[in-house]
Amino acid sequence: MNSKHIVASFDRDLEGIQAALMKMGGLVEEALRNSAKALEARDFDLAEKVRKGDRLIDELELTIKTDTAKLLALRSPTAVDLRTVLTVMEISSHLERCGDLAKNIAKRTIATADASNISGTLAASRRLSNFVEIMIRDSLDAYIQRDVEMAKEIIERDAEADQIYNTLFRSLLTHMMEDHRNIAFGMHLHFIAKNIERVGDHATGIAEQTIYLVTNAFPDDDRPKSDATALGFRDAGE
Amino acid sequence: MNDMRKIERDVKMTDTKITARNVNVHYGDTHAIKDVNVDIADKTVTAFIGPSGCGKSTFLRCLNRMNDTIDVCRVQGDIRIDGKDIHDKSVDPVQLRAHVGMVFQKPNPFPKSIYDNIAYGPRIHGLAKSKAELDEIVEKALRRGAIWDEVKDRLTQSGTGLSGGQQQRLCIARAIATEPDILLMDEPCSALDPIATAQVEELIDELHRDYSVIIVTHSMQQAARVSQKTAFFHLGNLVEFGDTDQIFTDPKDPRTESYITGRIG
Repeated sequence: MNSKHIVASFDRDLEGIQAALMKMGGLVEEALRNSAKALEARDFDLAEKVRKGDRLIDELELTIKTDTAKLLALRSPTAVDLRTVLTVMEISSHLERCGDLAKNIAKRTIATADASNISGTLAASRRLSNFVEIMIRDSLDAYIQRDVEMAKEIIERDAEADQIYNTLFRSLLTHMMEDHRNIAFGMHLHFIAKNIERVGDHATGIAEQTIYLVTNAFPDDDRPKSDATALGFRDAGE
Repeated sequence: MNDMRKIERDVKMTDTKITARNVNVHYGDTHAIKDVNVDIADKTVTAFIGPSGCGKSTFLRCLNRMNDTIDVCRVQGDIRIDGKDIHDKSVDPVQLRAHVGMVFQKPNPFPKSIYDNIAYGPRIHGLAKSKAELDEIVEKALRRGAIWDEVKDRLTQSGTGLSGGQQQRLCIARAIATEPDILLMDEPCSALDPIATAQVEELIDELHRDYSVIIVTHSMQQAARVSQKTAFFHLGNLVEFGDTDQIFTDPKDPRTESYITGRIG
């Protein structure tokens, strides 16, 4: 298929919404990185910066939603063009949620200012956030490159994120059972870990959009669920 | 993927009305239609789309042997309606065209009264035995053409005095008056404004419960709006034929995708 539309401004519109999406992705990656850094370094100024920065992500999402609605109304896109617009809308929602999760992490980081740290757990949560931040970055790369194989690989990767979360969950549980003074910090860090783990789910969602964009079909939902912590409060962190 | 419109109307699309096999058309040295094979379902709107000169109108005109009237035009291949070969010696093209009605791009009412525009076909085909019966046929056709309420008080006035949209609906009513099974429409809305277009599209939607409607259109959005099946023609080939929702969301041929997304003309 020829890549260019006869109406060149149609191409510019489609490129425009995808460029805005990538800009939003960049802000979300930065927010995730900074929230993780703020937590580990106990840098409350940086946490505050992340909290405030979420507004920018929300504004960008609103711009993308407005522009995609306009494009649908004015261009009546079909086939791959329609899927491009639909996936941009969907991915912008995923990214907006990731922005919220980074903000939640930052808020909880500020809330833990008075609680004493549990040794080892901060490093583990840092590992988890590094892992999901790369998942987000790669899922956006796969989208822009229309790389279905990479998208599938990212979906597989989510099981590993779940495993890191499970390990951290068990470790926090042990610390809290051993010493009740750990409970305040342990609870906060558990919510934070759950938020980070959710980012991995959004990266999976973005990867699924890439597969839909290219193949016009959604992948079967048969990826292994590795969250073994389902003890009735699985989604408490949302 | 299910087309919501099919479910809504509970349309049975299993009956084939028209089968075309290895249809080739030449205009002098020009090979206009190349080996087209297609099955067109009954009680369905089928849209033919494609760039100018792709052969969609030529193929449409094969279906009621309108190409017979063009000297340099040669049609080869097998076209059957309800299993009957339309090129069979026993088939009278005039009778055929009463069963396969046609509506053209430009509304072309006869310079006669509204009543006579509709009554013309039934009269020459001897469909009415009395004046009362003819009146009934005219009213029924005008009602089905969704124009009765607008013209019932001025049936003796000239059909050419109507607005463009009304004229086109009059022509559709005229085509219906001979009780056809199939309605061919060649760009029926391209000379109409958006409101008149919407009225004709609504009419097409009504008509396909009783007729097999085939519409040639340059407006892909119109094809998407009115049809259940879409055929994409390109350079005389039938490139792709499928459910309209599939053609517009998941075309299988890269040429179809390029065309419907506006990448090739």
